[in-house]
Amino acid sequence: MDVRSTWANRVSDRGMLYLFLLPTFGFLLFLVIFPLIWSLYLSFCDYSANAARPPVFIGIENYSSIFREKEVWDRFVTTGKFVLLAVAIEFFLGFGIAMLLNREFYGKGFLTTLFILPMMFSPAVIGKFFRFMMDTNWGIINYILGRLFGIPKIAWTTSYEYALYSLVITDVWIWTPFIILLSLAGLSSVPSYLYEAADVDRASGWFKFRYITLPYVAPILILAVLFRTMDAFRFFDVVYVLTEGGPGYATQIIPFYIYKLAFSFWRTGRSCALAYVLLIIIIALSNIYITYLNRLRRA
Amino acid sequence: MRRVALGLLVVFLSGLVFGGIAFAEEVTLTVTWAAWAPMDALIALAEDFTAKTGIKVKGDPIPWPQYHDKVFTEFASGKTSFDIVLPDSQWLGEAVVGGHLLDITDWFNEKVNKEEFSDMLIRSYCEYPDGSGRYYGVPALADFFGLAYRTDLFNDPEEKKAFKEKYGYDLKVPETWSELKDVAEFFTRPEKNLYGIALWQAPMATAGLVDHFLACFWSFGAELWDPNTKKVKGYLNSEEGKAAARYWVDLYRFHPPGAANYSMDETNTAMQQGLVAITGTYLAFYPGLVDPQLSLYWDKVDFAPTPKEKEWWVQLGGQGMSISAYTPYKKEALMFLEWWLSPETQWKWAQLGMFSCFNSVINDDRYLEFAPVNKVHRVVAPILKDFWEIPEYNEMGTVMAEILNAAILGKYTPEEAMDLIAEKHEEILERAGYYK
Repeated sequence: MDVRSTWANRVSDRGMLYLFLLPTFGFLLFLVIFPLIWSLYLSFCDYSANAARPPVFIGIENYSSIFREKEVWDRFVTTGKFVLLAVAIEFFLGFGIAMLLNREFYGKGFLTTLFILPMMFSPAVIGKFFRFMMDTNWGIINYILGRLFGIPKIAWTTSYEYALYSLVITDVWIWTPFIILLSLAGLSSVPSYLYEAADVDRASGWFKFRYITLPYVAPILILAVLFRTMDAFRFFDVVYVLTEGGPGYATQIIPFYIYKLAFSFWRTGRSCALAYVLLIIIIALSNIYITYLNRLRRA
Repeated sequence: MRRVALGLLVVFLSGLVFGGIAFAEEVTLTVTWAAWAPMDALIALAEDFTAKTGIKVKGDPIPWPQYHDKVFTEFASGKTSFDIVLPDSQWLGEAVVGGHLLDITDWFNEKVNKEEFSDMLIRSYCEYPDGSGRYYGVPALADFFGLAYRTDLFNDPEEKKAFKEKYGYDLKVPETWSELKDVAEFFTRPEKNLYGIALWQAPMATAGLVDHFLACFWSFGAELWDPNTKKVKGYLNSEEGKAAARYWVDLYRFHPPGAANYSMDETNTAMQQGLVAITGTYLAFYPGLVDPQLSLYWDKVDFAPTPKEKEWWVQLGGQGMSISAYTPYKKEALMFLEWWLSPETQWKWAQLGMFSCFNSVINDDRYLEFAPVNKVHRVVAPILKDFWEIPEYNEMGTVMAEILNAAILGKYTPEEAMDLIAEKHEEILERAGYYK
C-alpha cells in the first residue's frame, strides 16, 4: 500500500493540530461557553426555567431592579463582611501557623498533615458537623464553654449576633490550611544563605522577616489571598447546611441568594443577572490583586 | 467456520430480540417522596401491587430540606428519574403551570369516588386551579399539624396543683392558643433545662415557620388575602393578623434557646430529649416520638389537636400522589394510582400507622387503634386549611418566614413584620400579573 495516499498523510501538521483541538474545543463550547452566553442572554430576560413559556427580553430590568432593592444590598453587605472577616483571619492564622511549621522539629510531618486535613473533607459534611457542634442546647462547644467558663448557652447559628461568625469560624476551619500550604511553599523557597548572612550581621528577627522572608513569600501570599477571596465569594454549601441563610436572611450571602432565586423561586433571569454582577465584582477584585502582584514582582 | 459464525450471529440476534422483549415487559416504577417513615411504608406496601401486576416499584427518597428543589430541578430539565411523585399540596400550582404533572382528569372522573374525600383534600392535592375540574393527582397522605405533649408532666399532681394556684384553672392539654401560652410559660424552667414549647420557627417557606404560624394566624381570625382580588393589604396585616403575630413573637420566649431554626428534626429531638413539655409538628412524624430507640420519653408522650382561638383551623400538610408528565410508563403509573385508591390498600396503609385520606377509613373506629395520632386526625379532618397553591407560593412563604423569623428575634415589631410581609406579597403578586 502506498503510504503517501493514506488519509493521515494528506492532512497537514496544522490541520492535525486543529483536529486534535476540535474535541476539546467542542466540549468547552458546549459545557462552558454556551451556558455562559445563554445565561448572559437570560439575565436580560424575564424567564423561569420551571415555567412552560419562552424567555421574554426585558433589557436591563433585572440588573436595575437588583440595585434598587434594599434586601439585595443587605445581602451584598453580608457577603462583604463575610469575605473580609474570613479571608483576613485565614490569612493571619494560616501564615502564622506556616511560620511556626517552617522549622525542623520532631513530628513536623504529622502535625503539618493534621493541619491540612480539614481542607480534604467535603464542606457540606463539615457544615453538618459544625451544626451539631454549635447546637445551642446539645452542642459540644456550648457544653465546653459552659463547663469551663460558666458561659450561658450561645445561639451560634440562630441569633443575629453570632450567626455570621459561625459561618466565618467554619470557613476559617476549612480553608486556613490552604493558606498554610501556600505559605509553607513560599517560605521553603527562601534561600537559607540569606538568613545565614543576616545572622552574621546580627540582624534582628523582625529585620529578617521584614526584609528577607516577606519579599520572598509576598507574591505567593497575594495569590493565596486572591484564591481565597474568589472562593469566599462563592461560599455556598456550608451556608446551606449550617444556617440555611437564617436567622431571617441574616446569613444569606449572595451565592446562597442566587440559589434561592434560581431553584426555590425559579426566577431564572434575575438569578443570572445577580450571578453576573457577582462575577464582575470577583473579576474586579482579582484585577486589583493581580495589579498589586505585578507591582510586587517588578519591585 | 462460516457456519459457526452464522450460528453465533443467530444466537446473538435471538438474545437481543427476545431479551429485549423480556426487558420491555419488565417495568419498574420509581416513586419519589421525602425520606421518612411514610415513604418506607409505601414501598413496603407496593409489594402487593407488584404481586398483582408484575410491575416492580422502587423508592427514591429525598431528604426533606432538598425535596422541593430536587424534584423541580428534574422537572425543569424536562426529564425525571421518577414516574410517580408525592408533591406537597402547595407545589401543585407550580408543577401544573410548568406542565410537569400528567393531567389525569378523564381517568380521575372515571375512577375516583370523590365522596370518599373531603373537598379540602381534593382541592389541595388533586385539582388546579381550584374549581377548574382539572385533576393532576389523587389524595395520598392527609398530614396535619398537631401537638405532642409530655404526659408525665401533665398528669403530675404537684404540677397540677402549682398550675391551678398560678393560673386559676386546671392544668390540661391546651385547647386554645391562650391556654397554650399559659402552659408554655408554666413549664419554662431554664434552671432545670426544661422549656415550655418547641414549634417550627425556621425561616423557610415549607418545613418551617409558615406551616405552624398559619394555624395560629387563621385561628385568630385573619386571612392571607382576598381570594377574589388577591389583595393582601388589609387582610394579612389586619388587626387579627397583627394579633396573631404578637402572640407568636411573645410565645417564642418559652422556646428553648436557639430555637429560631427549629423544623421537624429539632422539634422532635427537643421532645425526645425531654427539653420541652409540648412540641408542635406534622403528626406524620410521630413514629420518632414513640420509638424507644429514639426517644427517652417514648412512653410518656401523647398527641392533641392544634389549639383554637376565635376560630379553629389546622394547617394541612401531607401530599397527593401525581404522575410525572415525562414518564414513559403512564399506563402503569395510573394502574398504581388505581391500586393505591382501593379500599384494601387504604386499610393496609392505615394499619401501618399512616394517615388515610379516605373518609370511610377515618370514621371507622378501628382506625383509632392503628396509631396514637389517629384520634387527633379524626377531630381535625374537617378543619384543615391550606395556604397558597399558586406558583409563587415558595417566594411568598419565604418572605413570610424570613420576616417573622426576624421578628421573633426582635429585628421587627410584630406589626412592622405583618405590614412588611403584606407589602412584599403584593409586590410578588403584582409582578406575577395577578392584578392585571
